[in-house]
Amino acid sequence: MSLRRVVFVVGSGRSGTSTMAGTLRTLGLHVPQPEVVADATNPKGFGEPRWVVDLHHELLQRSNVQVSDARPRAWLDTGTTSGDHATRERVAAWLEEQLTVADELVIKDPRASWFLGLWRAAADRCDATSSYVTMLRPVTEVVGSKQTYYGQMGAGSDQGAVTRTAAWVNMMLHTERATRGQQRAFVRYGDLLDDWTRPVFALGEAFDLAGVKTAMAVDIAEVHRFIDPSLRRVTMTWDDIGVPTRLRELADETWQALDAIADEDSAKNQEWCDQLRTAYAAQYADAEAFAHSTVVAQRRTAAADARREASGQPARGAADRVPHAVRAMVPPAARQKLRRVLGRERPQGSA
Amino acid sequence: MPDIASLEGEPGYDVTWPWTSGEPLAPGLTCVFRVRNEARNLPWVLPPIFSAVQQVLLVDNGSDDGTAEVARRVAEECGAADRLTVLDYPHRVARAGGEHLATPATSVHSLTHFYNWCFSHVRTTYSMKWDGDMVLTPEGAGILRDLSWQLQSTRAIVAMPRHPLTVVDESTGWLDLSLRFLEPWVYPMGPDFTFVKAFDWELREFPPGVERIVLQQGLCVEVKWLDADEYAHWRRDGVDFTNTRLYRKLREFEVDEAIRNGDPESLGGLVKVTAPPGVHIIDHVSRDWLWRQPRPLVQHSLPASLKERVRP
Repeated sequence: MSLRRVVFVVGSGRSGTSTMAGTLRTLGLHVPQPEVVADATNPKGFGEPRWVVDLHHELLQRSNVQVSDARPRAWLDTGTTSGDHATRERVAAWLEEQLTVADELVIKDPRASWFLGLWRAAADRCDATSSYVTMLRPVTEVVGSKQTYYGQMGAGSDQGAVTRTAAWVNMMLHTERATRGQQRAFVRYGDLLDDWTRPVFALGEAFDLAGVKTAMAVDIAEVHRFIDPSLRRVTMTWDDIGVPTRLRELADETWQALDAIADEDSAKNQEWCDQLRTAYAAQYADAEAFAHSTVVAQRRTAAADARREASGQPARGAADRVPHAVRAMVPPAARQKLRRVLGRERPQGSA
Repeated sequence: MPDIASLEGEPGYDVTWPWTSGEPLAPGLTCVFRVRNEARNLPWVLPPIFSAVQQVLLVDNGSDDGTAEVARRVAEECGAADRLTVLDYPHRVARAGGEHLATPATSVHSLTHFYNWCFSHVRTTYSMKWDGDMVLTPEGAGILRDLSWQLQSTRAIVAMPRHPLTVVDESTGWLDLSLRFLEPWVYPMGPDFTFVKAFDWELREFPPGVERIVLQQGLCVEVKWLDADEYAHWRRDGVDFTNTRLYRKLREFEVDEAIRNGDPESLGGLVKVTAPPGVHIIDHVSRDWLWRQPRPLVQHSLPASLKERVRP
């Protein structure tokens, strides 16, 4: 029986995935080096291997999928990319190298959920057992935290919140589906902060992790210093986030279903998730149909831009978008000054 | 009223589609086997399929080797007994080729009717036909398992190449890497995806513009047993292989003949594989050998003379 273990920490970003990965690392699991360096959005470090983040970034681009993507169909696109033989060889070779450093690895990246099929196959090739920890945090807190740390997105904060809420539902329900039937656990971020020893001890037993099972007092003390309950800096409710009722209800129920699975990973609760996934796909299809005119208009604009670029004409500057009649009203001296500021002075001596 | 009444007037073998009878289709993938005497292969074929799909429908067409019992036993061993449905189709089905051509499409003896009847029992949103001699690799099963939920947000057809493996004995086999043998296997369920009659066999229809996903090579082997002498009747019957559509069959026949005559190297595209002691050649090729081989596995394509339609 192989001693090799790869623990994938998955789930939405801003859900305590870094805290979980950091805890397992402190107890003795190996995080492949080098790691992404800590910053203000995650002062205790991300616990993310640089190589893995770069790989996922490249594969997401190849699949035309964003880290936080609300489209149910995006899973098929990343799944198709995951089957590529050359990529599988590359990932398996990298994983084999890491497993010669240590038998037990922890791999965390919020992008990982998109490529679990690829990682599972790579781990199998390396004779390593894969297991999955999905971190759970109430959707309002995740979206609130993203709005706080990654910034507002879209035309207004509400549009960003709607998109992020939809992407959260998509990510969580499909991560549940992708890990079903495998060795897995769901851990609430709140439980990890309240008393990390219980969920982490359970993981050690369930996944047979020597790092956790043989942890010494000094390691455990170190985790207590690492986990800082004040990390849970963003606590929000729906009152703080403007999300339409229909999506809010679906997100709430998704949270309830996953919360139930964290206690009991039963066929009944999985079926509940299946129903929610179907409902989400239907709601997303409605939204897509509703906004189809916008998609058509954007496609036309992009095609026109591409044609203009191909014909060698420069893209239209801000000044060009101002109607000629309005431009003509600017006095010649002011116009010259503006040209100088914009770095678009006319050549001297021209007619 | 059934959707397709059988020509012979046998109500039990009329076709009524679930969308006509109002039965809902659950999200998921059903694998449909139409088998006769596959008891020998099923212990290799069924476990990866059970790990990949939600439901398995096995339609037994006159086996006398205990195929249905073996299927039930393997399902039990896989903890999948509740996901296996075994049905019996007692009618003799016309052989591919001239016999099929001469049989009306709605006859219980037609391949077309047989397929429509089988697939009318599917109750998931996607279905796939699968042969009783096709063994998925573990990675192939993983990809199919993921597809079974990834496909739910769209309507696409999935094609997968397969690689014929002629088993000489427990530890030796010849893998045919001359062609991709690419066929679509997975289809959405719906009125646009039913079977119609073609010249030599049945054909599954699909609407124009439907998305097609092609899986990579090396995910599936098609097992041929040399000792079963599967092509004996072909030698006797003098099947006409000059037709492009039958090229794949011609190749199978040639491979079988070449190995039988002790001269497989001369044919080209055949690779001999030897399993380590104590490991069966089917397990070795599907679990350990295929993924280690450089890509592309198959470098050849159809002979130029067979790629284009030849007009007189």
